[in-house]
Amino acid sequence: MKARPETVDAAALDEAVRLVTEVCERACNGDLEARVPVISGSERAARIRIAINGLLDHVDAFVRESGAASAAAAEGRFHRRFLTQGLDGAYRAAAEQITHSNQVMSRTAAQFADAARARQALADELESAVLTVSEQVATAATEMGRSANGLADFARVAVADAERGLGTVSSLRTSSDEIRHAVDLINQVAAQTRLLALNATIEAARAGSAGRGFGVVANEVKNLANETSASSEEIMSQVNTVQQSAADAIGVLEAVTNRIREMSVLVEGIAQAVDGGHQIEDVGLSQLAEVLRAEVSRFVSTIRAS
Amino acid sequence: MRATEVRPSGIERTFGENELIVSKTDPRGVITYANDVFLRISALSEDQALGSPHNIIRHPDMPRAVFKLLWDTLEQRKEIFAYVLNLASDGAHYWVYAHVTPSFDRSGRLLGYHSNRRRPSQPAVAAIREVYARLLDEERRQSRTPDAVAAGMAALERMLAERGRTYDELVWDVTDGGAR
Repeated sequence: MKARPETVDAAALDEAVRLVTEVCERACNGDLEARVPVISGSERAARIRIAINGLLDHVDAFVRESGAASAAAAEGRFHRRFLTQGLDGAYRAAAEQITHSNQVMSRTAAQFADAARARQALADELESAVLTVSEQVATAATEMGRSANGLADFARVAVADAERGLGTVSSLRTSSDEIRHAVDLINQVAAQTRLLALNATIEAARAGSAGRGFGVVANEVKNLANETSASSEEIMSQVNTVQQSAADAIGVLEAVTNRIREMSVLVEGIAQAVDGGHQIEDVGLSQLAEVLRAEVSRFVSTIRAS
Repeated sequence: MRATEVRPSGIERTFGENELIVSKTDPRGVITYANDVFLRISALSEDQALGSPHNIIRHPDMPRAVFKLLWDTLEQRKEIFAYVLNLASDGAHYWVYAHVTPSFDRSGRLLGYHSNRRRPSQPAVAAIREVYARLLDEERRQSRTPDAVAAGMAALERMLAERGRTYDELVWDVTDGGAR
C-alpha cells in the first residue's frame, strides 16, 4: 500500500498544497471550523492533511476550553475547570495557568463570601444588642421620669406643709405677745392694788381698834396682790420659753423648706434629662435611645446592602 | 441505518490518554468532520463517517435521556459534558468523556456542533455506569420512545435532587472522582 515518492501524483500534491494553504489562511483569520478535506492519490498529502487537521483540532480544543473555563469561573461555576487531558506542552502549560487563576478566583470568591457572611452576622448581633439596650434605656427612662415626677410632687407637698407649720408657729408667737401684754396689765393692777392695800393698812392703824378688822382685810388684799405678781412673773417666764421655742422652730422649718426647694431643683433637672426640656434640641433619654436605635438600624442596613 | 445493524460484541476498546477524538457536525447532527482517532476507534472509514448522522456510533445501552439532555443543552447555545458509551462498526464498544459545544460564525449564527472526546478514567466509568443503569431500567419499562425519554429524564431529575447536584456538577463530581 505504501506509495513510493517517485510514484506520487504531482497533481495530488499541488492540490494538497492549495487546500492546506486555504485552510491555514482561514484558521489564521480565526475560522477554526476549517479542516483540510479528503485528498486522494497521495500518501504524503494524506499525512500532511492529518498533521494540519490534528494541529487545528488541538488549537480548536484549547480555544473552546479556555473560553468556556474562563466563562464558567466568571459565573462562579468553579467546578468546571480547564480539561488539560489531550493537550500537551505549551497548550498544557497555558491551561494549567488558567486553572491556577481560576482556583485563585475561586478562593477569593469564597473568602469574600465568608467575609460577607461574618459581616452580616456582626450586623445582626449589633442590631439585636442595640435594640435590647435601647429598650432597657427607654424602660429605665420611663421609670426614672415617673420617680422624678413623684419626688417633685412630694417636695411641693412638703414645702406647703412646712409653710403651714411656719404659719402656725408664727401665730403662736403673736399669741404669746398678747399674753405678755395681758400679764403686764395684770401686774400693773396688782401694783396698784398693793399700794391701795398699804394705804388701807395705814388708815386702819390710824383708826385704832375700830380699824383692826379692816387692817386684816387690807393685809389679805396685799397678800393677794403679791401672789398675783409672783404668778405673772411665772407666766412671763413660760411665755419667754414658748417664744424662744417658736423662734427655734421657725429657724428649723425655714432650713427644711430651703433644703426641699434645693432638692426640687435637682429633681427637676433629672426629670428634664429623662423627659427632655422645652427646647426642640433638648431631647430626653428615651428619645436619645430611639435616635441611637434608628442610627444603628440605618448603619446595619447599609452593611447588609453592601 | 448502519449503526442499528451492528451487534455489540462485548469487546471494549480504549484510546490513548492524550488522544482526542474529534468530530464536527452540521446543525442537524450530520458528521462533517472526523479526525483520524475517531475513524480508528469507531472502525469507520472516512467515507462511511462523513455524511452520516452522529448516531451511527450510538450504543443500545446508552440512556435516551442523556441524549435528550445533550441536545436540549446545545439548543440553549451552551456547552455540555457527558460520559458516552459508543459502538464501533465492528461491534466493539468504547467509553468517552465528551465535551460538546456549538460553533458559531462571526455574526453568531449556528454553524454546527463540535465534540472533543477524551479517555475517561476507570473509576469515572464505574460511577457513571451505575447512574445509567438506573436510567435504562426506567426507560426500558416503557414501550414507546417518547415515554422512555420522559421516564429517563424524570429518573435523572430525581437522582440529581437526591444528591442535591445539578447535572453539570454531577458530571464534574464523577470526573474529579468525587461522585457520591
